[in-house]
Amino acid sequence: MVLEPRTEGGSEHRDRKVWLESCAKHYGSVVALAEVELAVEDGEFLTLLGPSGSGKTTLLNLIAGMVQPTSGRIWIDGADITRVPPSKRGIGMVFQNYALMPHMTVFENIAFPLRVRKMAEAEIRRKVGEVLDIVRLPDVGKRKPSELSGGQQQRIAIARCIVYNPSIILMDEPLGALDKKLREELQLELKQLHTQLGITVLYVTHDQEEALTMSDRIVLLNHGKIEQMGPPDELYFQPRTLFAAEFLGDSNIFDGTVAGLGEFVSVYSEPGASMMARPAPIAEIGKAVKVLVRPENLTLLRQCEESGLANRLSAEMVDSIILGGVIKCYVRLSDDTTVVVQELTKAERAPPPPGSKVSVAWSAEDTLILPAVGGMTEGGGTAAA
Amino acid sequence: MAQNVRESSVGGRPGAPLAAAVSAWVIYLFLIMPSLVVIPMSFGDKDEFMFPPESLSFYLYGQYFFESTWMATTLQSFEVAILTTFLSLLFGVTAAYGVVRGNFPGKRFVTLFLLSPILVPVIVVALGLYLYFSTLGLSGTTFGLVLGHTVHATPFVIVIAMAGLRHVDPNLEAAARLMGASHVLTLRKVTLPLLKPTLIAGSLFAFLISFDEVVIAYFVSNTTTETLPVKMYSAIQWEISPVLAAISTLLIVLSLVICVSGTALQKDDEKGE
Repeated sequence: MVLEPRTEGGSEHRDRKVWLESCAKHYGSVVALAEVELAVEDGEFLTLLGPSGSGKTTLLNLIAGMVQPTSGRIWIDGADITRVPPSKRGIGMVFQNYALMPHMTVFENIAFPLRVRKMAEAEIRRKVGEVLDIVRLPDVGKRKPSELSGGQQQRIAIARCIVYNPSIILMDEPLGALDKKLREELQLELKQLHTQLGITVLYVTHDQEEALTMSDRIVLLNHGKIEQMGPPDELYFQPRTLFAAEFLGDSNIFDGTVAGLGEFVSVYSEPGASMMARPAPIAEIGKAVKVLVRPENLTLLRQCEESGLANRLSAEMVDSIILGGVIKCYVRLSDDTTVVVQELTKAERAPPPPGSKVSVAWSAEDTLILPAVGGMTEGGGTAAA
Repeated sequence: MAQNVRESSVGGRPGAPLAAAVSAWVIYLFLIMPSLVVIPMSFGDKDEFMFPPESLSFYLYGQYFFESTWMATTLQSFEVAILTTFLSLLFGVTAAYGVVRGNFPGKRFVTLFLLSPILVPVIVVALGLYLYFSTLGLSGTTFGLVLGHTVHATPFVIVIAMAGLRHVDPNLEAAARLMGASHVLTLRKVTLPLLKPTLIAGSLFAFLISFDEVVIAYFVSNTTTETLPVKMYSAIQWEISPVLAAISTLLIVLSLVICVSGTALQKDDEKGE
């Protein structure tokens, strides 16, 4: 089959590695992916993040060619590959269960894509040796995959991808089956490989910490739609929706009504106090909003302590948990909502005992207002995995 | 939990496990006796059935190997069984692949349809084939016999192949495809090698089904194409030849060899992985 690359999509798509042009996937009446526009830039580490059923795996499978889009087109390196079979897309993929061939040795596994490409035997030996060095497993070529640990198997799977220089490597929760310590180790290693080799990676995970650690950009998906897209710090510090705020990091959220606009927005909130928040385009006087403040931005004050921070609520101490370097304090406000405060652990500053009267305070800069709808707990539309 | 059960049965009625074991052995011996009884009989030296034989000899085996047309019939049986094995493996594995990996409307119905020959009594299949083949002119031919046995054996191969395919991770095939391998190459380098134990089990099973089958063969074959079981059946009706005891013993040995080698091959394969 001869493939005519279609290049009519406009020059702005050409320098993009992958370009999903209004792609949607429906299964009968179920919308797995609503119409989505997504570009992956050359050399980028892009992460698709979202809860299960948010459409991230569907999106990955569309690019891999495992499923066909209901509508829209997919471009790789400036060519329309919407109808091109997976074997001709020049893509690499790392699976959660490694998907190494159990009947082949490690060497034969890595050589497989090269043999498919009819490469000369000497060249194959050299290349396989090279990538085994890159993943720091130079001596396992003769073993079967089942004789390796999970972490080693995944490194072999990664080697099998980078050996044939695919234009993009898709990774479907590749570290999901590993324990926490190994996962963190491999996260760093993957990130290093990405920088060192300049490969383009599209990474799927439901683990927000993993996404924040590794990505150049995060695409947050929910109910088959892109909720927000941007660098990790932008998603963390400037979530645009309640869902984004709740999914990435911990958050304290209050109901409120916008009461005044100015250098800071003032919001009248349920616990009977007025709060100052960072200005936002959605702020209109009288509008119901959600107020977000991260636990690490809150300061816990003894009853009469002064702080000079713009926002302050009185509360009652409920409990505290030491998590090593940080301590989490749970306090109850006058309207019974629980607020989490996260502070650095300090020996000379033990948390107040449960039941004691305290205050929580924070600055206006650390306070965000968000639209009142679209949180994690709300249904909104149908979605499938 | 399991320990409690054992303790109560041991403490409550001490004779119960013993009685169970004894009755199990009695039933087992009752079932296996007819097979075992032919073995000493096969070493008799007279042209009549004797149990126990008066003296031991290979007279009956000599009759089987060198007298009459028994050898030609045996070769015919092998030919039919081998051809049936190939055909039913070809049809069974491809059908199972389609049903397990495919995703199309009416999949359940197709599966049921493919397995339906198991649900129909063999005598019905045999009669149907007899009538159908006589209009086609296939009656009495080796080809007709092979087709009849393939109809009979394929559903069993499908069941075995479906179970085997469910154990082959579809991600392995997806990975091979993404690495650039065509459908055919993926099948050749990934799916079929991983299905090897299944293919061995399936072919042994198909071979034995065909080699052992008497009803369809009786209906479809004639005197020039009859298989070993058919000839044995005729022999017991018309001449009551004690050669049958020798043949039965050889069949027991053949079945044993096939089963044991099948198990051994599968064990080797597991070790190899």
